[in-house]
Amino acid sequence: MSAEVLALDVVAPAVSGFIQGSVYGLLGLGLVLLYKSNRIFNFAQAEFGGVAAFVWIFFDTGRGVLPNLPTPVAVLLGILAAVLVALLTERLVVRPLFNAPKITVVVATAGVLLLLIAVEGFLYGGEAGSFPAIFSGDAVNSGAIRVTNQGVAIVVVLAVLSILAALFFSRSPFGTAILAVSQEATAARLVGISVERISALTWGIAGFLAGVAGILLAGTIGLAAPGSLTGLALVPAFTAAVFGGVTSLPGALVGGIVIGIIESEAQALIPKENLPGAGKVALFVALLLVLLVRPAGLLGKET
Amino acid sequence: MSLLEVEELRTGYGALPVLQGISFAVEEGTTAVVFGLNGAGKTTTINCLAGLLPVWGGEVRFDGQRLSGRSAKAIVEAGLSLAPEGRRVWAGLSVLKNLELGAWSRKDRRGTEETMQQVFGYFPRLEERKDQLAGTLSGGEQQMLAIGRAIMSRPRLLMIDEASLGLSPKLAQTVFEVVSKINDNGTTVIIVEQNVGVLPYADQALIMEKGTLTYDGSGSELERSGELRRTYLGEAVAS
Repeated sequence: MSAEVLALDVVAPAVSGFIQGSVYGLLGLGLVLLYKSNRIFNFAQAEFGGVAAFVWIFFDTGRGVLPNLPTPVAVLLGILAAVLVALLTERLVVRPLFNAPKITVVVATAGVLLLLIAVEGFLYGGEAGSFPAIFSGDAVNSGAIRVTNQGVAIVVVLAVLSILAALFFSRSPFGTAILAVSQEATAARLVGISVERISALTWGIAGFLAGVAGILLAGTIGLAAPGSLTGLALVPAFTAAVFGGVTSLPGALVGGIVIGIIESEAQALIPKENLPGAGKVALFVALLLVLLVRPAGLLGKET
Repeated sequence: MSLLEVEELRTGYGALPVLQGISFAVEEGTTAVVFGLNGAGKTTTINCLAGLLPVWGGEVRFDGQRLSGRSAKAIVEAGLSLAPEGRRVWAGLSVLKNLELGAWSRKDRRGTEETMQQVFGYFPRLEERKDQLAGTLSGGEQQMLAIGRAIMSRPRLLMIDEASLGLSPKLAQTVFEVVSKINDNGTTVIIVEQNVGVLPYADQALIMEKGTLTYDGSGSELERSGELRRTYLGEAVAS
């Protein structure tokens, strides 16, 4: 294999997979956080990001009666909208079901997902449009390998949020309280921790992570349609979470990157004529292999 | 006025009533022990006092303040703390983090550090293992941690559910001795127990049966009365 072919077929997909996987990792981080806190899988996680993306684009373009705001303000409003939707989901759907079987709560989050897609469809219209990239231009463009500024931004955001998450959970009392509630909610109540407030905080953080991931991912894939983020990113994010062991926050981030690279390499190396949608097939195979060979995940412990 | 006054307390689980209206009082600075067979309502009583179960009827007053209907958070802030049945330590957190979280309701950092040293004084083993995950501790150490965590809120009334459950007789004795020291330092204590080895440390003894209180008297009287033999062995008591 020549250096040029190696760069084109292996290195370039690995770089783009790394970037795409960083977003999966961010979404996976939110999924793991909610699993640790409520022991549920949140079907609406990626669509919280979808809400952020639509709110961002509505304010960025001044849609309808909305004002045309500078991009940073529109992005901020998008992220805030995702946090708000996550908090409302916690207060109106999850909290009333605190004592219900977990499967009921999981199904309820699927209901939230459908509602969000319907609202997006109502506000945006049924036809697909496009999201612009927040950061235009290329950081690296050496023929075979191309890294966009948007891609660099994604990796930087992932790195910063990872460090902040690590500091939050290891240093801050609220981070420790989230872990305590996830492990023994009764004991948490007994020392005076408000389990309800911690639950709201956890959902707020998950909404924030989804909002950031949604806006970055929307700007990368371009496709703007109700439910598109769930269709494109929920299963990879779930796979990332499983790869990391479902309860490990660093595991979700590493898992996201691994999944992104596997998906991208499969797309590049397996010709479409032989296996259409090879990236998604590889993703499912990877998920099955992890569940069969190492069900505890890559890191294999709760962190 | 007693530190804790319970009048006609009723509670239960879902629609199932457990406590049928019990009344008792605990004086400040004393140790009260609650005996009873499984299902008598001992744990239900202290879980209700700690705010984990709703008060269906009756009244709970702590230092004259009405506690009925208040949240677990408000109750721990008022000065009641519970080391629950089954220890319920945070297995994935270190011993130190468990103790720090025990002081969640407190705002004074310096005082918290002092209480931490006090806990390490009671249970030196916890200081030796402060960086170890709580889930890796032995049953006895986890019991020490559960009691230490409850002390971290600096309660005026410490409640301990089944302090000796699953412990060797020697370790159970050690735990009772430490609880006695905690009491000597001014904290009022309520212990729920099946182990009669705690009786020498009891100023007050209560016996529960089927959600009612059948005995409320001094520990030494209880030892003499043979009421415990009737409760646990079903023997008739000579009148």
